[in-house]
Parts: sequence; C-alpha cells; structure tokens
Amino acid sequence: MNLQNDLANLLNIPYWMSSTNIIHNIVGIIIYIIVISIAFSIFGYMVGWLERKLIARAQYRHGPTYVGMWGLLQNMADLIKLLSKEDVIPENADRMLFAASLPLLLALSIFIVLLLPYSPGLQAANLGFGLLIVFTIISFMPLLLFTAAFSSGNKFADISAQRSVLILLSYELPILLVVVSVAALSGSYNLAGIVASQSSSHYFALLLPIGLVVFFIAMLAEFERPPFDLREADSELIAGWLTDVSAPYYALALFLDYARMFLGSIIISILFFGGWLGPSILPPFAWIIIKALIISVFIIIVRATTFRMRIDRVLRFGWVWLIPLSLLNLIITYIVIIPFVK
Amino acid sequence: MTVTRINVGPVHPSTHGVIRLVVDLEGDTIVNVEPHIGFLHRGVEKLAESRMYMQIPPYMEKLDYVAPMSYNEAYVATVETAMGIQVSERSQYIRVILLELQRIASHLLSLGTLCNDIGQTFTAFMWAFKDRDIVLDLLQEATGSRMFYVNMRLGGLREDLPADFSEHTLNTMDYLEKRIPEYVAYLEKNPIFTERMKGIGVITRDEAKQLGVTGPVLRASGVNYDVRRSNAYYVYSKLHFTPKSLQDGDNFSRYKVRILEIQESVRLVKSALKALPEGNAKGMQVKLRSPNPVNRISVVNRELPKGECMMYMVADPQKPYRLSIRSPSFINLAAINHMAKGERFADLFGILGTLDIIMGCVDR
Repeated sequence: MNLQNDLANLLNIPYWMSSTNIIHNIVGIIIYIIVISIAFSIFGYMVGWLERKLIARAQYRHGPTYVGMWGLLQNMADLIKLLSKEDVIPENADRMLFAASLPLLLALSIFIVLLLPYSPGLQAANLGFGLLIVFTIISFMPLLLFTAAFSSGNKFADISAQRSVLILLSYELPILLVVVSVAALSGSYNLAGIVASQSSSHYFALLLPIGLVVFFIAMLAEFERPPFDLREADSELIAGWLTDVSAPYYALALFLDYARMFLGSIIISILFFGGWLGPSILPPFAWIIIKALIISVFIIIVRATTFRMRIDRVLRFGWVWLIPLSLLNLIITYIVIIPFVK
Repeated sequence: MTVTRINVGPVHPSTHGVIRLVVDLEGDTIVNVEPHIGFLHRGVEKLAESRMYMQIPPYMEKLDYVAPMSYNEAYVATVETAMGIQVSERSQYIRVILLELQRIASHLLSLGTLCNDIGQTFTAFMWAFKDRDIVLDLLQEATGSRMFYVNMRLGGLREDLPADFSEHTLNTMDYLEKRIPEYVAYLEKNPIFTERMKGIGVITRDEAKQLGVTGPVLRASGVNYDVRRSNAYYVYSKLHFTPKSLQDGDNFSRYKVRILEIQESVRLVKSALKALPEGNAKGMQVKLRSPNPVNRISVVNRELPKGECMMYMVADPQKPYRLSIRSPSFINLAAINHMAKGERFADLFGILGTLDIIMGCVDR
C-alpha cells in the first residue's frame, strides 16, 4: 500500500488509474499504453495521407485516389507491399545495430507519446520534470539515426551519419534554450503545468514569438523535415541512412517519418498553443489534435515549397541565426515578459 | 584527410540518365569527378552508314529525347546542304517556330529537374512539366506526335501547320510570358535556392573557351556566342534574334540564361508567327531513291537547346559514307571535373543539373 502510494505520488498517476488495487493500476496503464499507441499510429498514418494529398495538390497532382475513399488506404497498401518483400540486411552491415535502430526509434517515439498530456488527466505519467525528460529522449533520436546509418556499411549512409552528427551542433542548443524560456515562463517543468499556466495568461506563442519561430525551425531539423532533411537527402545520397534499409524496416521508417512529424506538432502545440485548451464545444483531446494537425499542415507546406540546405549552410544558419535568436528570446523572457507581462 | 571514393550512378536518383560518376571526396569536398559514359551507346554514327538518307532521321531523334526535333532538323539540314536543296521561305519560318517551341520545352524540363537536383520534392518539377506539356500539345498539333516527330522533309516539312495553330500558339505564348516571371519570383526570392546556386561551379570566360563548352553553359560565362546569330540560319536574322549572356559563369547564371532564352524563344515564336508568309511548306516525299548529293562533304552547325551541334557528312549516292556528330552534351559533360572540384558533394548535382546533359546525346 505504501509502495503504491509512493509510486502514485512519484509518477502522479491520473485519478482514473489510481485504483487502490495495484493489479488494476498495472492493467490500467497497459490498456492506456495500447490505446494511446494505436491512436498515435492512426494519427501518424492519417498525417502521412495528409502529406501525400497536400503535396500532390501543390504539384497539380491528385495524390492517392484509388485505394479506399480518397486514397485513404494507399499507405496501408504500401505497408502491406513492403511487409511482403524480402528483408535484406547487407553483408557488411552490423546486423544487431542495423536491426535494432529503427525499432528503438519507434520505442522512443511511443515513450514520448506516453509522457505527453492530451487533456487534464489523460497522460500515462505526469512527471514533475516531464519537459526535460521528453527533450532528453528526443535528443537520443539523432543518435539512433547515426547508428542506423553507420551500421549499414554503405558509403552514402556513412556520409549521412557524418551529416547527422554535424547537424546536431546547429539545432540542439536552440531547442533547449527555447525550452528553458518556456519553463521559466510557466514556472514549471511539468508538461500539464505548462498547459495549465497558459490558460491563466496567453498562449506562449503570443508571449514568445521569437521562441516559437526558432523552435519550429529547429524541430524541422530535429525531425528531418525539409529544408533540413540532409540525412536522407534523396537527390544526393539516394536515401542517406535508409539506403540499405528494406522491406519491414523501410515500412517502419516511412511510418516514423510521418509519426515523428505529428509528434513534433503535438509538442509545439503543447508548448506554445495551449495544448488541450480551447472553447468547450469540443472535448480537450480534440483541440490538441486539431492544433497539431494545423501545425503539421504548415510543416508539409514547407516541405512542398522549399529546397534542401547544404550542411555547411545549416551549421552557419544555426550559429548565426538560431542560437543568437534563442538567446535573445531567453533574455526577453527574463527581462521583459516575466516581470511585466505575466 | 583520407579520400573516400564514391560511386554515383549508373542507378542514382539524380544522374539524368545512365551516367556513372566516380567521385573522390575529402570529407564533404570533391577532389575529383570522373564521368564514365557509354551506357546508352547505340552506334548511331555507324548505323547511319548503312541506311538510306531519309531512313536516318528517326535515329537522330533518339539522340536527344528531350528535344528530338532539333537533332532531326540538324541532320535534315545536312542532307539538304549535301544535295543542294533550297528550303522554301514558309518552311523556314515554320521550322524556326517549331524549333523554338522545342527549345522552350527542353529548357522547361531542365529547369524542373534542376530544382529536383538541389533538393526540392518535385514541386517546381511538376510545374515545369505542366507548362512543358502545353508546349508539347502545340507540337502535337503541328506534327501529330508528342515525343518523336520525324516531321522534317528535304526542302520543307511533312505537312503544313493546321489552320488554328497560330491562334493556339499565340495564346500559349501569352500564358508562358505571364508564367515565367512566376518561376523567377518563386525561385529567386527563395534564399536557399540562391545560396545553393550563386558562386557554385564557376567557369570563367577563358576557361569556358578552353573547355569548349557551348550553349547556355558558354553564354552564362560571358561569351556571347550563339550559332543562331554567328551563323544565322533560316530566318533568325530577320526576326532580330539577340543571344542572352551573363557574366558570372556559376550555376545561377546558367539557370538564368535558360530562363532568358525561354523568354527570347517566346518572343521569336510570336514574331515568326506574325511574319509567317504564304507559300508551300511541304518538302519532298520520302521515296526509295533520294536525289544524288552534289557536295561530297557538308558541314552544318546548329544551336540545339543543349549547345552547339555540328554534323559532318561525307556523302555517297543514296547513303552517307560517314556521318560524324559533335554532340553538345558530350563536350559540356567533360567540364564537370573542372566545375565540381573543390565544391561540396551536395552541389555536384546542382552542377550536373545546370549542365543539362542528355545521356542519349552524350553516348550517341
């Protein structure tokens, strides 16, 4: 009983999971994990469909139309096709790392999904330092991309691995600096607390416009979206770290590409657009999804219209623009916004 | 620093056909690029020696499958020179119109693939293809075909233009005149595009002359040389054609020269349509026996969309004894090592894109 109370206090488990029976709790958490994972997969899948449709519209095309209504099942057809293919692991690849990287990436994504709050109480674990933990996990992701690239033993993937390390230098620091300013503004490292503090004042997007811009750009780099998709630059490196990835792993990579974009959108909506907050016409869960979808549409439009930056330019951009701007954002937060606006 | 050798192609997303580039990289910097060609070699020059004169044009069209009519016209003009056949004035005008439409189509494709090469997700590519499609519609109206036309005949064309071709073409040219500034605004206002293009793959004026590059690649380096003016064939001088050239010799100038050439071609087509004289445009029918050549050796040079093409023909009765082709893409491709040395690996494909090579033309 004591142990369970401690656990409940430590993890701050939502009320509907904190039954007095520990078995109920464990079953509740497992059900929650399964439900949220499935919901996340469905939304990741839908964002993939949205991306294909929107980019097609930008290019005078129709996108997928044949499989299912409006081509909704096209990604599923692709998935089935990829799963039915032979899985080839190259001879000079490090088999363990090569096979483990992408599933681990999926695991990390789902870990983050579980830590995020979707409405008051709808969160697997409301950790006191949830913000920091989420960004710690996010910063592991490039490491996995690096190991995936390095273990495949392909020269194009090797270049991708080198770029993967270099590009870290330009965007990791700005992300953390902006996150610090968000935490300072809300006075909490707790994700639910950050959303709750936006309900009493304005959305942080209005208070920290510079921070939002820097964070959005850095998240594009973090989740490999154009113009920062240097790791899998298809016109240069064939597919970069995915060059030798085939069949089920490629299906996983394709899904992760969409799912991580959606994950990034959810994080932006929590930190800057008040997460689940909104008029009570819709349930809180719907608001966070709507906000995340709108942010995803922006990310997709950026992909449809922009060109790929070169690695040295990305570094330059990071150090000349992103880092000074994020520092400026931090200074403004502490000197102007916290004392006067809040 | 160790040098990594990377094999780009023959199967690679942005090699513009089957070319293999062996790239030596020092970190991310290119030390050496060695193009390996010949994957598309069909021996067209040798094939021509065993064919009758008017059996050869279909082979010529397959050399440059993006601008087939230009090659076809160059070959037919060579045969006309050998046989001393005059081309009627109306045919000359129509040929100029069709060739310039072909040039617009080729340059639009080059623009689209270039955008892909420097990392866009097919957006500008599809836009350029859509506009190219409208130009191909016009060519289809005039010749009945969209890709391989084979519409040049000795002394003229296979058939005259259809009745409402002029109106359709003028409408399309008006559309393109509005459309091209949209491309320019979209591309040049994008800082990523300009920084990926400016100062990359520079060929100076003297180097361009030494390397022997021609066409837009040469004119981007500040040499104002265009066969359409220096050796004005057909009615180009009557239409007051002026070549477009820029000074910088980098990727951006090469892209910009092509844009300016599209605009100049639009102007040429419009003024040629306005000045189009009445008369007979039909050439000689293709028969088993063609007239015997009067000149043993004939040389014709033409400004193709890719650069200067020269055809050298030693004529025998009924079939060529030897046909030699100076293909512009082959000689332009030879400059790639010079251009790419010292640049970043990512820029190799921008350079390849602005060279605008067609492997059918390189390998022959």
